[in-house]
Amino acid sequence: MSGYIGEVVESGTKGFVARSPRVGEAPSFGSFVRTDSGSPVYGLVYEIITGSREPGRKPDAYDMSMEELKREQPQIFELLKTEFHVLTLGYLDRGKIRFALSPLPPPIHSFVLECTDEEKEALSSEDFFLRAIITSPNVPADDLIISSLLGAQRSRKNDKDFMVRMGKSLSRFLKDDYERLASILRRLL
Amino acid sequence: MLNFHLVKSQIDSMIRERKDFACELTDKITLAKEELKLKSEDWEELSRKVEESRTSWLVAGISSPPASAHPLPERPRNYTALSSDGSQIFPDRHEALPCYLINISSIALTYGDNAGAMLGSGPSLFYRDEDRFTIWGGKKIPADSEVISLKRTLMEFERILQLVKGNEADGNTIALSDGTLILWRLEASPPDFRDGIMVPFLRILDEFRTLRVPVAGYISYPGSTDVINALRVGLCPEKVSFCNQCPYTELPTLPCSPIEGLTDRFLFSTVLDTGEASAVFKSSSKILEMYGEHHIYFFYINIGEEIARVEVPKWVAEDGRLLSLVHTLVYDQAKKGKGYPVSIAEAHEQAVVKAKDRDFFFSLIREAMVKSGFAVTVSRKGLSKRVPGV
Repeated sequence: MSGYIGEVVESGTKGFVARSPRVGEAPSFGSFVRTDSGSPVYGLVYEIITGSREPGRKPDAYDMSMEELKREQPQIFELLKTEFHVLTLGYLDRGKIRFALSPLPPPIHSFVLECTDEEKEALSSEDFFLRAIITSPNVPADDLIISSLLGAQRSRKNDKDFMVRMGKSLSRFLKDDYERLASILRRLL
Repeated sequence: MLNFHLVKSQIDSMIRERKDFACELTDKITLAKEELKLKSEDWEELSRKVEESRTSWLVAGISSPPASAHPLPERPRNYTALSSDGSQIFPDRHEALPCYLINISSIALTYGDNAGAMLGSGPSLFYRDEDRFTIWGGKKIPADSEVISLKRTLMEFERILQLVKGNEADGNTIALSDGTLILWRLEASPPDFRDGIMVPFLRILDEFRTLRVPVAGYISYPGSTDVINALRVGLCPEKVSFCNQCPYTELPTLPCSPIEGLTDRFLFSTVLDTGEASAVFKSSSKILEMYGEHHIYFFYINIGEEIARVEVPKWVAEDGRLLSLVHTLVYDQAKKGKGYPVSIAEAHEQAVVKAKDRDFFFSLIREAMVKSGFAVTVSRKGLSKRVPGV
């Protein structure tokens, strides 16, 4: 299959990890993705890691430009991998996106695709994704909120009302932490 | 269990003795270096004497001034390095089924304009009678670690040959192998077993020769003494040395002993600058009588971090273009691998079968047997090792 951006190599209820087909390439941080499994799972990319394929080996410094490395040390690119971690936001339930954890995680080796503008619009139509981010313990929540909101707004052709609506939701979620809310809002401008 | 208190005192004695030897070494190296220079002036005479003498050691055949140092030739911009290595799971007679596994890696690294890398490995499982047993001096015996290791070596060279054939690069290709090209272990085996390895091995070398792809065996930190031994022949006052009729055994020290104990590596570390290669010498291993056109020659090279020994067949040693290609590419490979040829290092990494892989392999077999309704029985000894009681 062509056109996919990753393949699921670790799968769990709260999220999954996908291997990128090309080293150094991955969907951007904060982008909306989905699996192509029987019941697609939707999520947000919150971590991208490039490193050694083998646990016992670490990349070394070579003092060469990227061009030189590709010409003179071509094997190192075969020994690296790029993986991205996805936070699950919801799944497709009888043709409708349900903002809840999927009853079963996506199967290992499912392909991962970037969401279409329509899917992004549907995923951001409510503020559930912001709540999902804020309540997840192991994600860089504030930055993920900013990136996902900006991405959603782009797919909605810079809809100002959308930003205002989400800003209001954020102020509700973070009503006990004004500093944090202010920092996010300032960075969204 | 190992008693480390008792081991430690033995380690200390070993270090004391080695330290004493290291002090003597400096004088020996100076002497050997002088001798190498001296004999280079009249190397034809040393060459004749080595040729005619009969010693109990391996002596390097000499066909050029032995002290010469060849500067590093320019590296072609585009080249390909091919390599393969193997690893195995030996048969364990305490396991449920008798079988063994050989994992062979394939490495093709292309440098320059069309740079790219191909790294991989493929396992082969051997369980049929013809694989589990071998004919050794007319008798059918179970394949042991020695037999499996030789079979593995053969498979490595077969794999490199496949890589050569599948590689559409221009003339600058090298086939690198870890360790010696001299299958000296076969010296002690009976002709029926020996031929089973040697005939296909030489056929593979024939193909390399037809394709004009140089094969080189790379030996890191070599312990060989062939050149030192040639100098010892030179030190012998006899016109031709016959060690088994040595007339000097009554003397407190033999005339050839002042440089005894040195390795060629020590000697050439004082002769070669970084990148330089030594003269080419001819190996006198007995097994090479079978090699014919592929008789193995060798040279030493200073790769910066250490002195390495590089072995090549006769047709490479006698072809100036191929020899200097081997010289420059071996150096470049070692530089890229920070002191050890990167293609050989990757070949090892791809082939290696770790202890936990071995355990998993046998548990896969047991599991497959259970699923197929086989009665799985392992030996009590095997079981006792796996689950030691108190």
